[in-house]
Amino acid sequence: MTNAPSLDIEHQLQACRSKEETFKTLVVLSKTLPRLSDDEKIEDNKVKGCESAVWLIIEDINDVRHIRADSDAKLMRGVLVALLSLVADKSFADIQQMDLKRELAELNLSSYLTSSRTNGVLAILAQIQRP
Amino acid sequence: MAFDPSLLRPLFPILSQPAYEHPLTYLDNAATTQKPLAVLDAIQNYYRTGNANVHRGAHFLSDRATNQFEHARHTLAHFLQAPEQSHIIWTKGATEAINMVAYGLEHVLAKGDEILITSLEHHANLVPWQQLAFRTGARLRVLPLTSSGEWEAEFAHYFSDRTRIFAATQISNAIGTTTPMQTMLDLAKQQGAFTLVDGAQAVAHYPVNVSELDCDFYVFSGHKMYGPTGIGVLYGKQHALEVLIPYQTGGEMVRHVSHQATEFNVLPYRLEAGTPNIEGVIGLAAACDFLSAQDRSALLAWEQSLAHHVYTRLHKEGGIELHSPENSTTLVSLSVPNVHLLDLNAYLDSQGVAVRAGSHCAHPLMAQLGVSGTLRASFACYNTLKEADRFCDVLIDAIDLLNDE
Repeated sequence: MTNAPSLDIEHQLQACRSKEETFKTLVVLSKTLPRLSDDEKIEDNKVKGCESAVWLIIEDINDVRHIRADSDAKLMRGVLVALLSLVADKSFADIQQMDLKRELAELNLSSYLTSSRTNGVLAILAQIQRP
Repeated sequence: MAFDPSLLRPLFPILSQPAYEHPLTYLDNAATTQKPLAVLDAIQNYYRTGNANVHRGAHFLSDRATNQFEHARHTLAHFLQAPEQSHIIWTKGATEAINMVAYGLEHVLAKGDEILITSLEHHANLVPWQQLAFRTGARLRVLPLTSSGEWEAEFAHYFSDRTRIFAATQISNAIGTTTPMQTMLDLAKQQGAFTLVDGAQAVAHYPVNVSELDCDFYVFSGHKMYGPTGIGVLYGKQHALEVLIPYQTGGEMVRHVSHQATEFNVLPYRLEAGTPNIEGVIGLAAACDFLSAQDRSALLAWEQSLAHHVYTRLHKEGGIELHSPENSTTLVSLSVPNVHLLDLNAYLDSQGVAVRAGSHCAHPLMAQLGVSGTLRASFACYNTLKEADRFCDVLIDAIDLLNDE
């Protein structure tokens, strides 16, 4: 259903030839993320381990995992747009089978996947792939 | 003759490499400085020609290593203007040195005694004292200083006859403030307190004279002053070091051991359990030699001019909150309303500009400033005016890119 925009996001990121281009693309993508309300940006929804605040709301409805996310950092919102496009319309079982680390790396986002405390993408992936 | 940093650049080969196809602009010197060839060579020569354990075997290599190791102590004593080389204790860094003192002085504290620090401290000069206070029932008090280093309130009453320990930084790592150290030390000494100066951010910039400062303890890390990581110094006055209970025991620090009792060795060995970081010691001495061979006042004036140049440019630019004092000698710390620090940092990084974004291990200070963190550009002697301008240019571009809402 929503394959077309997902592919578009992936193409945009794959086309980036430098860190600077990836940065600018993430800034553009960040604007497409539907924001969470203040009521949803609560401690319970916060991902531990991110230096920028990241909130995740995961619901499994009719065998599809619906994930909404937000961050106070723009670049992180761009990364979330890419990540959510990778797992859009998939069931938990499907998502669990995915190698999300590799797929994000293929989108030139590997520098966001280090274990450095400055970003918690790995913590987000862990949460998305947990029952 | 004006100072020319380009003469120093060839001594720091790491700086000549590109970062993502941009020139590397290294402005994270308050976190760690780069190392001159002299330091790299000293470490390599040690392993190539002199590696042996110190103070043990009597053989060709162990004599060579021991001589070099103890000569390094002499170099450090001279570097700090300490009266005796036995007053130089090797540590892993400033953090370990402060912990050694915090554990070593535990026995002098009674319930209700006071430990006084300032509001500008790095966690390394805060948490060990706070934990010491928890263990002993002492009270941790915080002297409020403004970001420009002035007294925020009536300060004299913070120093009382219950003040047993006073510990403060010379220069704030987070915002670059120089603290009124001599005044604070005088007040602390009037109360008979033990005094500790955290020189981690000062040693790379200012010549240090511990005899003139007249503090009981002075601590710093080697890696922030062009030396290797994993080595630092605890300087102490004779009587102050003697009061310390060794917080680590084992080999090297003993004179005689039986199953019933142990007689500890004399200073400095009493406080240096185990095989020391020999390569670190030798590298640190080489870093001291490197600094001592420079015109220190010219270096300081140069670093100051870079910080001031950046401060002035960004102040004129507007829309940027500067948290450093205008006269900061070593760094510029800032935030931009409505723009996330990590976003700014990521753009600067994409352009090869290395700075630090975050709370700089100073959560209480960030709370006092009303920010979650700052972006910090910190300078060293090898930084150029071009690099200072590049930081400003890229930062302004980043703000334009990110501040569109």
